[in-house]
Amino acid sequence: MIQRHQRIVFWCLVVCILGMGVLLAVGRQRGRQRIEALAAGDETPLDAPTAMAETVTLDLANDADGSIAPASRQIALPQEPNARARALIDHLIAEYALPGSAHALPPGAAVAEVFLLPLPLVGYTTDSSTAATKDGGFRPTLPVGQTDPDPVQPKQPGGELAVIDLHSTFVNQHPSGVEVESLTLRSILGTLHANLPQIEQVRFLVDGQARETLAGHADLLRTYPAADTTSGANAANEGQSN
Amino acid sequence: MIVLDPAHGGVDSGSQISDTTVEKNVTLALAFRLRSLLTARGFSVVMTRDEDAAAVPNAQGSAMTLDDRAGIANHAHAAACLVLHATPSGNGVHLYRSELEASEGQAFVVPWLTAQSPWLAQSQRLEKQMATAFSRAGLALVTSRASVRPIDSLTCPALVVELAPSGDDADSINDTDYQQRVALTIAGAMLFWQNQVQPPARLEAATKEAVGQAAPSDATRTQP
Repeated sequence: MIQRHQRIVFWCLVVCILGMGVLLAVGRQRGRQRIEALAAGDETPLDAPTAMAETVTLDLANDADGSIAPASRQIALPQEPNARARALIDHLIAEYALPGSAHALPPGAAVAEVFLLPLPLVGYTTDSSTAATKDGGFRPTLPVGQTDPDPVQPKQPGGELAVIDLHSTFVNQHPSGVEVESLTLRSILGTLHANLPQIEQVRFLVDGQARETLAGHADLLRTYPAADTTSGANAANEGQSN
Repeated sequence: MIVLDPAHGGVDSGSQISDTTVEKNVTLALAFRLRSLLTARGFSVVMTRDEDAAAVPNAQGSAMTLDDRAGIANHAHAAACLVLHATPSGNGVHLYRSELEASEGQAFVVPWLTAQSPWLAQSQRLEKQMATAFSRAGLALVTSRASVRPIDSLTCPALVVELAPSGDDADSINDTDYQQRVALTIAGAMLFWQNQVQPPARLEAATKEAVGQAAPSDATRTQP
């Protein structure tokens, strides 16, 4: 014979178990609803969007014979021209940082920024050919692009000047020598010309400042023409000039 | 007259060729060898520096700038100006002429940064002649164009001569036999070049005619 108090305890336990089961089921259901609500409101993609890889031409330098030869690579590049130019140069320098490179350069980010400026460069300068006004006012101004001859004039409509701002860490570690420095610059110029033909002229800065040379030799103060710098093109030019 | 410009000097050591060798010492050593060989062949030689730290003439104590070097070379009215460099990369000798576009004649007022333009045709001929001499001497050679100051400001047939190691060992650049071989080749090429170089005075006369023809149109263009 089961005693009365034992029956009470038994039924109390049964009620508690059922209550806990209901609580567990309700809590689980609420948790699921909360996660579904979060997923419905958050539009962050699981993977970053990637551009389609495209074929680009890198003008690769070779220290052994001082040559530059074109090479095709499949690279995903951004569509925005400034970012595209910067990505091209970054890929080019990364290629040189690989072991066994024919033009060994230090690894790391080389380019801080690339700015593409439409030519002719438009600005204003004081017209020194005229006298100041009688009341001591300013001299009239002239558009720079109209009075300045090359190098600010475009050869083709839509021509652009690329200003490449290099990192000082890259420049300070760059090997020193006429050949090795010239090859780096010509390689960059040729690569930009091959993939972004609207770039006609190129200027270099280092950490946003003008610098005399790359590593003691190649002139960084002048404006370079973006042109085909491969050895084949140079040989053709030599033939024409003779 | 030949102008030799041993690049760098003083606090500017140039490139580090090896643990014990810096570029400024190699260029000066090669310049001394060249000076001796050229003088023995009857040339007058002007060097932009003949000691470690170059100083500006008439301004003792002032460090020489690249423009000062160009000024010395341009005042010499030289048959050739050789800017000497050295590098640990590559082999043999690298010859460079200016990357400027060649121009037909010298303007009445010579732009300092592009003064080499009218002389580029002669610089190219000198480069070819010297390349032939190096090939005959059996020395490895690279010829190209480069923007290395102060070559763009020189008013003479001008080349950058960059000496690289003779072999895999960077210290081979200090080998006296190797340097002597290079210097002998250059001196020999200069001997042939002196009979072909167009004297600056004649070129100046031709330039004046060209400027005389160009002047009216320039004047018209600049009139308001």
